[in-house]
Amino acid sequence: MGGIRQTTQATTQDFTRAYGRDTIGRFYERVNIESGGIFMTEAPSSDRKGREAMTYNAVGKPIGRVEGPAKVTGAAAYSADIRLPNMIWGKALRSPLPHARIVRIDTSAAERLPGVLAVLTAKDLPDLLIGRRVYDMPVLARDRVRFIGEKVAMVAVEDPDLADEALAHIEVEYDELPAVFDAQEAMKPDAPLLHPQYRLYPHAPAKYFSDLPNVHSHVTWQLGDVAQGFAAAAQVFEHTFTTHYVHQGYIEPHASVVALESDGRAHVWLSNKMPFRTRELLADAVRIPQEQILVHLTPIGGDFGGKGSLMDLPLCYHLARRTGRPVKMVMTYTEELMAGNPRHPTTVVLRTGVTREGIIIAREAKVIFNSGAYAAFKPTPVVNITGASQAAGAYGIPNIRIDAYSVYTNCVPAGHMRAPGDPQVTFAVESAMDMMAEALGIEPLEFRRRNLLRDGDRLPSGHPVEHVKVQETLEAAVHSSRWGESKPRPNVGRGLAVSHRHIGIGDANAQVTVEGDGAVTLLTAAPDTGTGSHTVLRQIVAETLSVPIEQVRVQVATTDAFEADSGAGGSRVTHVAGQATYQAAEELKTLIREVAAQLLGCQPNDVTLSGGRCAVAADSERGLSLADVARAALAHERPLTVQKTYRVAEYPHVTGFTAQAVELEVDPETGQMTLLDVVTAHDVGTIINPLGHQGQIEGGLIQGIGFGMIEEMRAEDGRVSTLSLGDYKLPNIKDIPPLKTVLVQEQLGPVPFQGKSIGESSITPITAAIANALYDAVGVRICDLPITAEKVYRALQAQQGVGEETPGEDRRGR
Amino acid sequence: MNSFEFRQPDTVEEALTLLHDLGEDAKVMAGGTALVIMMKQRLVMPDCLISLQRLRGLDQINARNGELQLGALTTHRAVERSEAVRGRLPSLAETYAHVATIRIRNVATVGGALAHADPNQDPPVILLALDAQVGLRSTAGSRQVPIGEFFTDYYETVRQPDELVTEVVVPMLPPRSGSVYLKFLPRTADDYATVGVAATVTVDPATGTCRESRIAMGCVAATPVRAPEAEALVRGQRLTPELAREAGALAQRVTDPISDARGSADYKRAMAGVFVRRALEQAWQRAMAAV
Amino acid sequence: MTHTIRMRVNGKDYTADVPSQRLLIDCLRYDLGLTGTKEGCSVGVCGACTVMMDGVLVSSCLTLAVLADGKEITTVEGLAQDGKLHPVQQAFIDYGGFQCGICTPGMVVAAKALLDQNQNPSDDDIKDWMMGNLCRCTGYYKIIESIRGAATRMQTERVS
Repeated sequence: MGGIRQTTQATTQDFTRAYGRDTIGRFYERVNIESGGIFMTEAPSSDRKGREAMTYNAVGKPIGRVEGPAKVTGAAAYSADIRLPNMIWGKALRSPLPHARIVRIDTSAAERLPGVLAVLTAKDLPDLLIGRRVYDMPVLARDRVRFIGEKVAMVAVEDPDLADEALAHIEVEYDELPAVFDAQEAMKPDAPLLHPQYRLYPHAPAKYFSDLPNVHSHVTWQLGDVAQGFAAAAQVFEHTFTTHYVHQGYIEPHASVVALESDGRAHVWLSNKMPFRTRELLADAVRIPQEQILVHLTPIGGDFGGKGSLMDLPLCYHLARRTGRPVKMVMTYTEELMAGNPRHPTTVVLRTGVTREGIIIAREAKVIFNSGAYAAFKPTPVVNITGASQAAGAYGIPNIRIDAYSVYTNCVPAGHMRAPGDPQVTFAVESAMDMMAEALGIEPLEFRRRNLLRDGDRLPSGHPVEHVKVQETLEAAVHSSRWGESKPRPNVGRGLAVSHRHIGIGDANAQVTVEGDGAVTLLTAAPDTGTGSHTVLRQIVAETLSVPIEQVRVQVATTDAFEADSGAGGSRVTHVAGQATYQAAEELKTLIREVAAQLLGCQPNDVTLSGGRCAVAADSERGLSLADVARAALAHERPLTVQKTYRVAEYPHVTGFTAQAVELEVDPETGQMTLLDVVTAHDVGTIINPLGHQGQIEGGLIQGIGFGMIEEMRAEDGRVSTLSLGDYKLPNIKDIPPLKTVLVQEQLGPVPFQGKSIGESSITPITAAIANALYDAVGVRICDLPITAEKVYRALQAQQGVGEETPGEDRRGR
Repeated sequence: MNSFEFRQPDTVEEALTLLHDLGEDAKVMAGGTALVIMMKQRLVMPDCLISLQRLRGLDQINARNGELQLGALTTHRAVERSEAVRGRLPSLAETYAHVATIRIRNVATVGGALAHADPNQDPPVILLALDAQVGLRSTAGSRQVPIGEFFTDYYETVRQPDELVTEVVVPMLPPRSGSVYLKFLPRTADDYATVGVAATVTVDPATGTCRESRIAMGCVAATPVRAPEAEALVRGQRLTPELAREAGALAQRVTDPISDARGSADYKRAMAGVFVRRALEQAWQRAMAAV
Repeated sequence: MTHTIRMRVNGKDYTADVPSQRLLIDCLRYDLGLTGTKEGCSVGVCGACTVMMDGVLVSSCLTLAVLADGKEITTVEGLAQDGKLHPVQQAFIDYGGFQCGICTPGMVVAAKALLDQNQNPSDDDIKDWMMGNLCRCTGYYKIIESIRGAATRMQTERVS
C-alpha cells in the first residue's frame, strides 16, 4: 500500500534524490528518480469526517488530500528541494535604475573570484526576446534596462554564500533615461516611449495596437449602442477608482533547476503551473527543440496566478550549458517583491446611465492597467487583462462599451493574480452601485435586484448566460447576514457586493489504467498548485469506476507523457482536467464491462461495477474483481487503459455568482476598522470535494481582504520600498473575521457530475462589500485602495471640518 | 552572507576582552534575529561575530530592593512569562508579549533589542515610562545609564563599541500605580506599531489626584520619547477625559515621526495624541483598581 | 572559518562541518538533506522555516548553524513516530489544514509545540501562538479547526 513508483519512461540519466524518510516507510521510500516523473503516494484512508455525502460514493466526500502524507511530513519535494549531484547555484544582478541605457558591463573582477564558475551577460546569449504571449522581454537586459530589478547579469557559484559577493564585483555603467511610472502619464504625448518597436515583437496582438503612446494593447467590448443608452438615461453618473500593487504572496518563492544530459537534453524543474507551456516557451527562449526538454512536475508552494512564466529558467539553462553542471536558482522574497509579476494597478473610470425606474441602461468603462516595463507576463492572446470585461458586473446592462488599456511604464512588469482584473473592476462597479443607489434614493439591495443578470442576458463579451442564480445567491447572502437588522451601536455599518466568474477552458489529458493488481492509476499532467486538484481527479475516477477511493492512485506525469495540457489557472482545472479524467474513466468503464462480459458470459450492459467488483446484474454472485478482469485483458494484449484529451475553446454559458455581505465597525478616533461578520454566498453545482471547495472559498476571501485592507506594495518612482514580508504584510491568523459560507446549490454545470468552478470567486467582491459597509458605518467613501485606517481617519477629519455631521450616525436610516 | 570569524566567549570577561581588542571590526550577537537579517542584506558585514550565547548568569530575572533586574540575555519570552514580572509589573510582561511572534521572542534578548535601538520597538517605550536604567560594562568598568539617555538616534545608543549591555533595572512602581502599553496596529496583528504609547500613573488615594505620571511614545521620533509637558499637566490633577485629551495634544508636540508603510508622519502624530489619552485613562483605571 | 558542529536532529546524531555564516536552515536542508523545512521570506516572518531547538520554536532562517552545536533539533521530519503520523499531522489532512503545503511543515511543528505545552488551547490561544506562521492558501480557518481537532484527539487518546 502506498509507495512511490517509477514511470514507464525510458531511462536516460540517473538523478538520485532523497524523497522520503525511513521513519514513514510505508508511505514513501528512497527512490531513484529516472527521467519520468515524481509520483505521489496514495493516502491512507482519510475519509474520517463522515459528513453528509450526496448521492455519490466518492464525489461529494471531504476526502483528505492524496498528497497529504507527503505534505504534512515535509516529504513533498518542491522545486527548491531538488538536489542533484554537482549542482551549483545561480543568481542574477538586477538593475538599480528604472530606465537607463547600459553603457558598459565589466564582469572581469567577478570572473576572477575563486568559486565563481561563470558570469554571463546578454552578449553571451542569443539575441531574442521572451514572454508568455508577446515576446518583449530580454532574458538579460541587452542595451537598456526598463525597471528597477530587471536582470542584467548572472553568476554561477559553487557556494551560494558567494553569490552576493560575486554580484558585487560586477561593474555596470548606466546612463539614465527619463522614466514614467504612472499609466495615465505614460499615455500622454510627451511621455518617454518604452518600446518604440512594440508592433514588431513576436506575437504582438496587431488587432489591439493603439496609437496612444506606451499602450501595447487596447481591447474593447461592446454591446448595444451606448450613445442611445445614455440618451435614454434620466441620470448619468461618473466615478473613478484606483487600485494598487499587490503580490500573489505565495510562501514559496520561484525556484528553477536545470540539468543537462550529455546529448543536450534538458531536465527542468520549475515552480510553475503550466509545464507544457513552459516546455514550449523554454524551447523558444533558448533555441532548442521542445523534444529536448523534459519538464518534471513538482508541487507548487502557491501560485495564485503568479507562477506561469519562465522566470529564471532560461538563466539556469544558460548557466548549465556554460558550466556543464546542474544549476539551481531560488529567488529571494525581496526579488519576488521587486521583480515578481504582481497584480496590475488599475484605474477604472465608469460612466453609467440610469433610467428613472432605477435601471442601468448604459455604461462606458475605461480600464487602465499599469502593465509595467514589459508585457511579457501576460498570457492571454490579447495581452491585456480580460477582467476588464467585468465592468458590467453581475448586471444585464444592454448598452455597454469597455475600453481596456494595458500601458507600459518603468515599473515592475505586472502579471496575473487570482481572477485577474476582477477584484479591481468589481471594486469599482460594486462601489458605484451603492453610490448611485444613494443618489437615486433607492436602497442598495433593491437597486441591485432591479438590475441583476437574467437568463438569456448577455455579458459584455457577447456570451449569453443561462441558469442564472444570482438573485438567489444575493438573497442567500442577505438572509444569512444581519442585513436589515438594527445596528447594535454607532459606527457599525453593513455592505453588499456581487460578482460573477466564468468556468475556465483549455485542454487537458488524462490516462486511466486498471493495473494487474486491481489498482486504478490516473496519469495526469495537471499540476499541483495546492488546490487539491489531484484529489478531485481521484474522486472522479473512483466515482466513475465505482471503486473505493483507496484503490485509485494518482501519477503525476512529466511533459513526455502527453502532448499538451493548459495547466492550472483561469478557473479551469476541475472543468477541463476533470472532464478529460471523467471521459477517460467512462470509456475505460465501457472497456471493463466488455472484457468482463466476455469472461462472465453475458452482455456488457448486464455488467455492474460496484466496490471494485464486476458482477452480473441479474446474478450478483457471479462476479470478478477488477484485478481478475485486468489480468485477463492483459493476457489478451488488450490492457485496460484509456487516454483522453479534452479540449474546450468556448466559455460555457453557465457562470457562477458570488454575493457577499460584510458588517464592520469603525473606531472613529483612529479610522481602524474591525470586520465583525462576513457572509460569502456562492451558487454552485455538485461539489466533488467539499473540503477542498471550502478551502478555496476561505483562502480566496482572506486574499480579498488582504487586497482591500492589508496588503500594499509601496513604490515610488518605480522603486519598491516594501521589500520583505516585514513590510509587505500578508493576512495573519489573527486578522481573519468570523465567516459564514452559504452555498446555493443545484446539480448543474459543465464540470463532471454537474459542477462549476470556485477557485477565483470569493476574492472578488469582498473589497467593495467592505467599502460599502464602511460608508454605511461612518459616511466615508474610499475610492482608492487599499482601504486603510489612515484614509478613513483623514476622511472623518475632513467631515468634521466641513459640516456638523456626527461621525457614526446612521445616515442611511437603515 | 559574507564569511566572518565566529567567537563564543564563555564568560563576560572574555567577551569584554574580545570587544576591547577587536573594536569596530566585531559585532556582538545576542539572539541574533535583527543582526542576521542585517547581515543577510549586507547592511552589516563584520569581520568577527561575538556570540554571547554561552555566557552564564546574564539571563536571570531578579526582584530585589524594590527593583526588577533583567539580565541582558533574558529572552523576551522569559520576561513575558516570568511570574516575578507579571506579579510586580504586569505592563512590562505584557509589552514583551507584544513583540513580533513567538519564535522571535524565544530568541531575542532584552539587552540585544536595546542595543539594536530600533525606535519602532515596543519594550523601550514601557522601559522609558518605567524609568529603567541600562547597565553597561566594559573592561574598564561598569556604568548605569537612564534609559532616557541611552538612545541617541535611529539604531544608535551611548553604548561604546567595547561595552556590553549587561542588565536592565526597572524600579517597582509605588502603591496605587497603574501602567499600560498600547500598541496601535491598524492593518495586521503582526507588525511594528504605527504608534506605541506607555503610560504610568500613581494616584494619591487621599485626594484622588495624580501624584506622578510618566508618558513615553515609540515610533514617533528617532528614539522613544517622553512627554514631560503632558506629564506635568496631569500631575496633581484628577484625570478627566478632557485632561487626558489635553495631555495627548501636548504629547503630540514632542513627536517628529517619519512617513512609512505604517502611516504618514501626520497620522502618527495624530495617533500619538489619541493613544496617550487612552494610555493615561487605562493606566489611571489600573491605578484606581490597585491597592 | 569552518566549525564542526554536532546536533541531535529528530533523535539522530549528526556531525557537520559548516562555515560560520551557514544558516541552520541551509545546514538542515543541504548538509543533512532534510528538505522538509522550507524557506519562504528569509526574515523570520512567515514561519515556513520553523523548527524546535532545545524545546523552543525558532526561525531556522535566522539562526546560525554554529549555534545549533550541542542542541536538540526537531524538524517536521521528526514528528511522526514509528511510521505513524503525529495527531497534528493527521488532523491537518482530515480537516483540510493545508493546500499547497509549503507552510505546512512550519505549521505542524509550531502546532505540535503549542499542544505540547497547552493541551486545551482556546481559539485565541491558537491564534496568538500561530500568528507567526503565515499561510496564503487556506485563509487559516481550517488550520484552526485542524489544531482544535488534534487537541481533542490527543486528549481522547490520553484518557483512553
